Amino acid sequence: MQLFHNTHIDFLGKRKLFYLASTALIVIGMVAFFAKGLVIGIDFVGGTEVLVRFQNDIKINNIRTAMEQSGISGAEIKTLGGERDILIRTAEPGEGTSISDRIKEGLTKNDPGNKFEILRIDKVGPKIGKELSTSAIYATIFSLIAILIYLAFRFEFFYAIGSVVALLHDVLMTLGIVAITGALIPSMNLELNQAMVAAFLTLIGFSVNDTVVVFDRIRENIKLFKNENIFTVMNKSLNYTLNRTIITNGTVFITVLILLIFGGEVNRSFAFTFIIGIITGTYSSIYIASAFVVDIKSFQTKRKLNTKAGVSVSKA
Amino acid sequence: MKKNRFRIILTLGFVFLAFYFLYPTYKDSNFNKEIKNLKTLEDSTAFFDKNGADILSAREKRIKLGLDLQGGMYVIMEVDIPKLLQDLSKKTDDIFKASLEETIEASKNSDEDIIEIFDAKLKAKGLSIKAYYGEIRDEESKIKSDLKTEVDNAIERAVQVVRNRIDQYGVSEPVIQKKGSSRLVVELPGVSNVEEVRKLLQGTALLEFQLVIEPQIAVKVMEKINTLMAGGNVDSLIRADSLKEISRKDSLLSLKKDATKKDTTKTIKKDSTSITQKDTTKKETVKKDTTKKTTTKKDTTKKESTKKDTSKKKDTSLLTDTNLNPADTNQQLSEEEFKLKNPWFFIVRPQQFQDGSVAWFVKESDKPKVLKILERKEVQDLIPTDIEFCLSNRTLFVDQGEGIYQFYILKKEPELTGGVVIDARSNIDPQNNTPVVYMEMNSEGSADWARITGANINKQIAIVLDNVVYSAPVVNSKITGGSSQIEGMKDIQEAKLLEIVLKAGALPAPLTIIEERTVGPSLGEDSIQKGLYSSIIALILVAIFMIVYYRFAGMVADIALAFNMFVIMGVMASFNATLTLPGIAGLILTIGMAVDSNVLIYERIREELTGGKPIKTAIQIGYKKAFSAIFDGHVTSIITAIILYQFGTGPIQGFALTLLIGLIANLFTAIVMTRIIFDIMTDKGKSTINFG
Repeated sequence: MQLFHNTHIDFLGKRKLFYLASTALIVIGMVAFFAKGLVIGIDFVGGTEVLVRFQNDIKINNIRTAMEQSGISGAEIKTLGGERDILIRTAEPGEGTSISDRIKEGLTKNDPGNKFEILRIDKVGPKIGKELSTSAIYATIFSLIAILIYLAFRFEFFYAIGSVVALLHDVLMTLGIVAITGALIPSMNLELNQAMVAAFLTLIGFSVNDTVVVFDRIRENIKLFKNENIFTVMNKSLNYTLNRTIITNGTVFITVLILLIFGGEVNRSFAFTFIIGIITGTYSSIYIASAFVVDIKSFQTKRKLNTKAGVSVSKA
Repeated sequence: MKKNRFRIILTLGFVFLAFYFLYPTYKDSNFNKEIKNLKTLEDSTAFFDKNGADILSAREKRIKLGLDLQGGMYVIMEVDIPKLLQDLSKKTDDIFKASLEETIEASKNSDEDIIEIFDAKLKAKGLSIKAYYGEIRDEESKIKSDLKTEVDNAIERAVQVVRNRIDQYGVSEPVIQKKGSSRLVVELPGVSNVEEVRKLLQGTALLEFQLVIEPQIAVKVMEKINTLMAGGNVDSLIRADSLKEISRKDSLLSLKKDATKKDTTKTIKKDSTSITQKDTTKKETVKKDTTKKTTTKKDTTKKESTKKDTSKKKDTSLLTDTNLNPADTNQQLSEEEFKLKNPWFFIVRPQQFQDGSVAWFVKESDKPKVLKILERKEVQDLIPTDIEFCLSNRTLFVDQGEGIYQFYILKKEPELTGGVVIDARSNIDPQNNTPVVYMEMNSEGSADWARITGANINKQIAIVLDNVVYSAPVVNSKITGGSSQIEGMKDIQEAKLLEIVLKAGALPAPLTIIEERTVGPSLGEDSIQKGLYSSIIALILVAIFMIVYYRFAGMVADIALAFNMFVIMGVMASFNATLTLPGIAGLILTIGMAVDSNVLIYERIREELTGGKPIKTAIQIGYKKAFSAIFDGHVTSIITAIILYQFGTGPIQGFALTLLIGLIANLFTAIVMTRIIFDIMTDKGKSTINFG
């Protein structure tokens, strides 16, 4: 069995179109992100979050009034995967004092008959939140730099630049799409937390892996087809690796999809982000990383030709 | 073929090691199942008696579950440096308070050292930090570095206090770690009572000086408990001189074991510290020197006599003891019988020393049992209200391979509380090279201390922090003036610990909780189940796909996949790594990644086969050509995993770790292991292998 046999798809011919599409999508995504489309979790802004499971179904409005009565105003209250699991989030970090105790008290008073169980309490002070966000940003930047250095050693410098551009594209694109989805489907409960940052870093690793496989084939084919221009060699390499690209990314896609479906609330942000990441990662290996190298290379040869021509002209 | 042999041995080696490291995890889960099935208290006691050591060792070596999977509490605490600055300052005027307020505000948005910020704020007001801290002649830089040392000390004290309390609270496998210069990370698996733990972590430490009850009274109480436990049986009622007998019995037991050469050197070390007045003038130092020499000499003789004691006593008692009934006589009483007759003395063993003092000892493994018994109501009823039982903070010596705690019987009402201590310092006495701790008290405390020590010369006063005895020095003399010195510690570490303890009463380390995460047990179970389901479904789907697409070669890839999972778990067990929920996600990703390597290789082999190459060459070329892509891809992913591990916390680190181990294991299976199977087949002359 073979998915594709002896394909001759012109991947790079329409690259300008894809540049445009990517840019447009990233811009929209960033607008969505900065217009508060994505909830930023207490991991990064600080606050208190309590997840409670009730014995019987509960009306969310009742909880809201109960919280206001116990002096917790402006709390965000929502159900999580059913009418029994309630998530209560406040911006107050509750250092020293115990917000969570007040929440508990309020819930007990509200409906003593409906017993509940605390599933999870998270309290993050603002200082820690800030530290976590700086470390997340550093982690992303450092891994990009580390990858740039490694690839510059293993391939040519332009290839390294190409893959890092593709990675930046992936991170921004994924962030944008997640933000848009979060804004359109609030019940997905997507939020930017530590787990999502882990997803971003993993997708960086995966996307670069995908790019490396393509580049590896180009590296090999350049030696094999010395007489053909870079554009043809690259297109050929992309076609050669097409089977592998689809199969590998397909299986990873399936595994993460399973995680998204069966992994529960806790893994959702991670799984969804990563699924988007796999798609953009696969796409960017072809239409961003490879395309970038083609353009740089042809620009380079053009300039070389120009300068050569210029030199010969001046000599003459 | 030779190359194959090496690779086979390597692979089998990995399988064996994985088995070896995973066995405790398997055993642990079995034990847990059995423990769940135990119904009565007797059953479980018997079970623990029988398997105790095995259970513990399996538990220690198994793959640990993260707090997000088994439930528990994760807390980061920080020393409240502004509070500490306030506590330490010589005076607190309005300028000081204002500057401190500004410092607190400024520190919220700055990573700079708080002491530096405070210094800058004071300077901005035209004042120096010298106005509030240190001696007049001290350099500013010295004062600042001293303050930083104080912060360090504060976190040390906090670690000690917190550890002590958590040990008493009885959490299994707690993690208490210093993080950075002013933070403390506490992980408490299985804890769900948040309020209680919060109180435990943040409350001020209570340091008390309590009198050790005299043996005559202590023995009576202990005998009552023993009788109660022996079922009130008259036969086992121990008569007046029973203590001597039991003490002898104890040594007898040990000696019997000595004979079996399990443990040839028996050393009973009771706490042998002493407390004297610290001398300030030179003349007195000389005087003190002589007295000290005598004390230390006495100490050593005491220790020696203890050793002799055990052997000598046996001889004498064998000859002279006539007070016993026949069944009870000496060595005929086996360990089992002794246990039956004196259940309490069997676990809290008395030891009489030649100077008439009695000390009680508890084996490390008996400690929980002892505490349980003491909690019982009928036992509580026997204990006079003014008496309290405490254990030493650490095991004092090792007997027959097991640590032994000292068991103290104290007067409940403390003679003095730690608030009066203003300073404590540990040092090595230059005169005789022994560790010593100096303790200073304020004037109010000094007066009381003089009275207390004067009234209790040659008796022991225990230094108790949060109900644990850190030392119980014998009072050598009446101590006036508030300066005491404690000597007789085993080494400088022990002295240092005592210093920390004494200071914990004097200067509590103010802690604030800056991050707290609690996972209830049911959410943990939920998560395990979901994670496990997802992994299994993913694994099965991927495996089926590989077989459908690559036929025989797909099967080989699946074997490699199974091997891979196995090795990852084995490596995790050997690292004592923790499996977290994101860790399971990492495992699922590894499944995807593992498939990639095989796909790369197989696609290459197919290409070669389509090009008309024979199977053997096609396999060779396929592996060779795919290698660089696999290698580069893995290295870049490994780089991100390492960075993730460096920057992440808790669960995220778990994810990075599983991914990292998975990637490395993967590199091995993809390049070495699957190749073996294909090579063997082609070596045997197979001309076709189904690559789908």
